[in-house]
Amino acid sequence: MSTAVRHPLPGDAPRAGSDVRLSVEQVSYAYAPNPSQAPLFTLEALSFQAKPGELVAILGPNASGKSTLLQLISGALEPLSGRIFLNGFPTYSLPVKTRAQRIALVQQESRLLFPARAWEFVMQGRHPYGGSLRFESAEDIAIVNNALAQVGASHLADRWMDKVSGGEKQRIILARALAQQPLLLLLDEPTLHLDIGAQVDLLESLRRLAAQNRYTVVVVTHELNLAGEYADQVVLMQRGKCLRVGSPATVLQREILEQVFQAPLSVEMTASGRPRVTLFSTK
Amino acid sequence: MRPLTLTRLFIRCGILAAILFVVVVIALKLGAVQVSLYGLGKDLIDVLLRRANSLSSDYGLIVLDIRLPRILLGIVVGASLSVAGTSFQALLRNPLADPYVLGVSSGAALGAIVALIIENHLNLSPEIAGLITPIGAFIGAAITIAVVYFLGLRDGEIDSTTLLLAGIITVSFLNAIIMFLMTTLSGSNLRGMAFWLMGDLSTPQPRSLLYFLCIGFIVAAGAIYTTASDLNLLLAGEKEAMHLGVDVPRVRIVVYIAASILTGLAVSVSGAIGYVGLLVPHVMRLIFGSDHRMLIPASALGGAIAIVIADTLARTVTAPTDLPVGTMTAAAGAPLFLYLLRRRIAS
Amino acid sequence: MHEVVDEFGRTVRVPLVPSRIVSLAPSLTETIYALGVQDRLVGDTDFCDYPADAQKKPKVGGAVNPNLEQIAALRPDLVLVTKELNRMETLRALDTLGIPAYATDARTVDDILTTTLKLADLLGVPDAGKRVTADLRARLAALHDNLHATPPTRVLFVVWTEPLISVGKQTFIADAIRKADGVSIVDAAQDWPQISLEEVARLQPEYLVFAASHSETGARDFDALANRPGWRILDAVRNRHFAVISDAVNRPAPRIVSAIEDLAHQLHPAAFPENPVPEKSAAAPARAGNIPAPSPARITRDVLPSTQETACAR
Repeated sequence: MSTAVRHPLPGDAPRAGSDVRLSVEQVSYAYAPNPSQAPLFTLEALSFQAKPGELVAILGPNASGKSTLLQLISGALEPLSGRIFLNGFPTYSLPVKTRAQRIALVQQESRLLFPARAWEFVMQGRHPYGGSLRFESAEDIAIVNNALAQVGASHLADRWMDKVSGGEKQRIILARALAQQPLLLLLDEPTLHLDIGAQVDLLESLRRLAAQNRYTVVVVTHELNLAGEYADQVVLMQRGKCLRVGSPATVLQREILEQVFQAPLSVEMTASGRPRVTLFSTK
Repeated sequence: MRPLTLTRLFIRCGILAAILFVVVVIALKLGAVQVSLYGLGKDLIDVLLRRANSLSSDYGLIVLDIRLPRILLGIVVGASLSVAGTSFQALLRNPLADPYVLGVSSGAALGAIVALIIENHLNLSPEIAGLITPIGAFIGAAITIAVVYFLGLRDGEIDSTTLLLAGIITVSFLNAIIMFLMTTLSGSNLRGMAFWLMGDLSTPQPRSLLYFLCIGFIVAAGAIYTTASDLNLLLAGEKEAMHLGVDVPRVRIVVYIAASILTGLAVSVSGAIGYVGLLVPHVMRLIFGSDHRMLIPASALGGAIAIVIADTLARTVTAPTDLPVGTMTAAAGAPLFLYLLRRRIAS
Repeated sequence: MHEVVDEFGRTVRVPLVPSRIVSLAPSLTETIYALGVQDRLVGDTDFCDYPADAQKKPKVGGAVNPNLEQIAALRPDLVLVTKELNRMETLRALDTLGIPAYATDARTVDDILTTTLKLADLLGVPDAGKRVTADLRARLAALHDNLHATPPTRVLFVVWTEPLISVGKQTFIADAIRKADGVSIVDAAQDWPQISLEEVARLQPEYLVFAASHSETGARDFDALANRPGWRILDAVRNRHFAVISDAVNRPAPRIVSAIEDLAHQLHPAAFPENPVPEKSAAAPARAGNIPAPSPARITRDVLPSTQETACAR
């Protein structure tokens, strides 16, 4: 864990009256497995903001610090400097339960030790709203059903989790995150194990959910075109540095992309104003 | 979708409690000495209605002073070991965990042996001498709990894998010391220790100790039960649990200490009875699923039933010789374990 | 009822004349028969086999794990235990149930005699106790007279062969050997020390001693041992110098004196020219139904072929 000095920021009070939900301010991070060694990994200070209903894509090649940034936003890690505000409250200092009511994290894999049914799995998302020993209320059941419906998995409610396909499992995991009724929805490389059709399905759902439920959605991905097509904002990262933040059109440009991804490519604009990236073979 | 409601929980526990009651009644009847339950019932009613001052001596001594306390001891021990087993399986995320895997029973055995050796050199009054072994065992258990806890820390927090490794190493180390010390014990102490290591309920314990056990069980099992929902989520993974609002370090410490206390208490009075803490949770899981809100009380009742049955067999199968109850749990437990293992591989 | 202090230092309240006795050790059962009060014995252990009548008494289980219910059902007013064989837990269990329990602890042959006297007092037959112990003391004194001038024979008392286990110097068995003008070569504080063949070879005992319920078993034991690799390194094995005595030596009861006498005869035959076969007056009072102990057979060297001249020279 880092032990460096935290730079103080002006004012701790919640910022009232702004439309910004998520505010990442000059956040940096360093990780040293051994206190005496030099830090293995650093994230240099970066900032960006997101509003309700927005979908932000954190884009970059492997080991660029994307997942670390997501963990920092989720409150699981403490930033070395800077702070992350959700509706004005710093995420790291929130109590675990409150944080789980506001932030939902969808990871790539979910390993269950003992078998469970899909609805039981989704019901876990209601845990932040009760004590350590709680029994489900009718409201909980309604929310779970609603969550399953929103991802189109209502027919899977009674299925065992080890008997569903990869795409179905992804949807159920997402439903669990929805059941948390969060303000912030974080996804770490959700399209890794999905085929192309499922990938598109997922991003469509995310965009729809963001608009419908006024979530702020942050997706970590290395899929250039998914980011280009679906994100409202793109954060481009390379080796722990944030190179550019902005709309897809301003970020996904040929020169900077070639530098980051080390591959020849070309960028075109589609009719809807979205950039589309085409990769050439390297010869 | 059929979520677990309080009503359903009570009904299922009620059924298990009824089974336990029937088993206890049968256990009261069976034994080296024939007891007529009808006669016993009549005597009890007579006493209650003040037609007689006390039970006729036949039933009084045997049933009330020998059999019933032994059955009650078996209930508390069985419940404690099963709840501890369920908790450790959740805490360590390992279905092979049993209450002894973290070294509590080895520490208790060492404490008991050291107490025996010390006792030989002291001149103690009979009342204190009777408590020396359980107290020594409990102290040994407590020290082991603390040592393994500190060995199992990583970055200042309990880490499941490190804890498991620390436990295994501690068990080996303590067993070596135990074997060495056992070569120094004299004849009858050695035999007594052998019984202890197998798990034995035949020694009547003072009433005060029984009360202490019951209270300890209620407090520790209660503490674990209050984290039941958290435990359900822990099984999905510690990171995920944290993101779903579980205070993982707090749950780990509470469960670790409470489950270790349960194991320590049980082992101090009955020795290391095997297989119960490992298998009862599995069987209950097969019947009721992995929801700990149901599983913990089900394990407690199931463990009580299992031990009472095993102990009754132990004292009737080769009457009048008393077998240690650990032989029965091993005889039934090993084949059952094999069966569960094969089921698991097949599915 | 009166209070007595047992050999543990415990104060116990017992009836003046106990009438329903349960014995939890074979040695105590034998002593009860020797004192002539076996009619008051209402229960004993599975292992109480001497005298034969003891086998007919109601059984309460083993010595280590007797069945408490069975004991309680016999409604005893006194239970006898030994420190050497029974568990402390059993003693405490009897205390918890309010059943009077008296514990004995005999470590030497003299202790055995003292215990017999004390038990006689406890059971209300002090005269029988004095008679029995006087007879035993006389026999032991006679042995001493015969042998005090003869140097003791160095022996290895074999309890078990694989692994090789002998007796420690603080056991009553070692003391019994001393009374027979022998000395156990094993000098260990433990009760049942395990020793290596190397160590025995270094010490070269003059005789090996076995305790067996039948003499033929003893002879077979020796033959089996002699044929095992490495054992021929012992002089005693090559010279076939072994003694077999009755397993009464394993029990701290009056009958042990017969075993001592027998051992003395086998180790020092020259000291008993007029009396080759020891008398078997097992201190039994004149009561019908009392079976005298069987005479141990002096089969050893006379019956078995020996390759060398039996020059157990001393």
